[in-house]
Amino acid sequence: MVHEDYKEMIPARALSALDAAEERVLNEHLDNCSECRKELEEWQSTAAALAVVADPVEPSPEVRERILGEVRKDLSGSNVVPLRSTSRNVWSSFGSLGAIAAVVLFVALLVGLFVLWQQNRAYREELASKNDFIQLVNTPGARVSELKGIDLGAGATAKLAHDAAGHAILMASKLPKVPAGKAYQLWFIAPNKPPVPGKTFVPDSTGNAVLKDEMAGAALDAKVFAITVEPASGVSAPTGPIYLRSLEVN
Amino acid sequence: MCFFAANPFSPGARIIFRLQPRPAQEDDVALLKAIAARNEAALAQLYDRYRAILFGLLMRILNNREEAEDVLQEVFLQVWRKAADFDENRGRPFTWLVTLTRSRGIDRLRTLAARERVAETSAREVSEETSDAATDAFKSEQRGLVTKALSQLPDEQKRPLMLAYFDGLTQSEIAARLGAPLGTVKTRMRTGLISLRELLAGQGESFGF
Repeated sequence: MVHEDYKEMIPARALSALDAAEERVLNEHLDNCSECRKELEEWQSTAAALAVVADPVEPSPEVRERILGEVRKDLSGSNVVPLRSTSRNVWSSFGSLGAIAAVVLFVALLVGLFVLWQQNRAYREELASKNDFIQLVNTPGARVSELKGIDLGAGATAKLAHDAAGHAILMASKLPKVPAGKAYQLWFIAPNKPPVPGKTFVPDSTGNAVLKDEMAGAALDAKVFAITVEPASGVSAPTGPIYLRSLEVN
Repeated sequence: MCFFAANPFSPGARIIFRLQPRPAQEDDVALLKAIAARNEAALAQLYDRYRAILFGLLMRILNNREEAEDVLQEVFLQVWRKAADFDENRGRPFTWLVTLTRSRGIDRLRTLAARERVAETSAREVSEETSDAATDAFKSEQRGLVTKALSQLPDEQKRPLMLAYFDGLTQSEIAARLGAPLGTVKTRMRTGLISLRELLAGQGESFGF
């Protein structure tokens, strides 16, 4: 069977309509062919459209309660089993070369674990920030404004969520690197009032940034939000070029 | 350029902006990421957004409320456990959810081996308890687009698609059901799905989940 033969089978696979033997053969091919995997994803997207033909039906409220009940149980239960240390004497089991190899492997393992730990921490921090953002957005009376990059900041985007109490979270991406000694600074702008300064921040190496800020009283009436580049310590009134700004919110 | 030189409140620069609903897909991706971080509220929000459409799909497949509710619960608990597996570069959240739901539904149908038995359960159960969500403009629009596209397919292409998607029949089973040669069913199914994709693509930006 050649590549084209497999491709012929993909639409039926997206509908789960292949006979068992054909599906097994195609699945083996999919394991080794990224092009066909991509094509299957596209056909699955088309097939998924058929779902909306079915009449929407409300499940009983108990289903929601059952699901969330299971989730809460999962969240509250901590089934961490402590690792048991072994009493085996490694050194007596290996010769000197084996011992050296074991040390090298152990060091490599430690380095690997450290790298993984750092990646995991960064990932968790990012997720935690997104969680905070979503929770803030779900607060009654919360608003979200979209900021777009202009001029020097073209291509950058950001979203700023804030609630009536002035808790604000900015999530920005694709920010250009700031020059040494400089930082981005957030501004809250109410009609016919001078801009109120927010905190300064510097994006990470990928141009992403998350900033939590508290809006001072005068900033609570803000209808426009902007980001400029300023001295790293921040300024009380904007002096630098505007990189991102929102449109006016009513 | 100085900030004040580009006064955002100058008459020419003033643009009235009303908060628009963020694109559903972007919201869904954010929700799935939050679920992966074990945010219970995000799961509740995703459930509330898609419960009616996914349950409707399961009712269409299983024709049995108790079984459908059980599978719906399994689906969302799997979402809770597997949200981190979702890769936004490989497809839309809607496709992921629907594919997962349908797969679970078809598995249950095959396990029950009771197509005929549950088929006797009244179809009224579906039609009489149509959700308020059916009136939701977005979902109605999507439904209208797909229904319109399907109506443009010849019946000989549409039937194999529907039998496969909602009844979980394989091509051989469909051939037996329709009394048509297997090769013919394969061709019609493939042609039907290709035509559906082209018709939906023809809807341009107005189509999308």
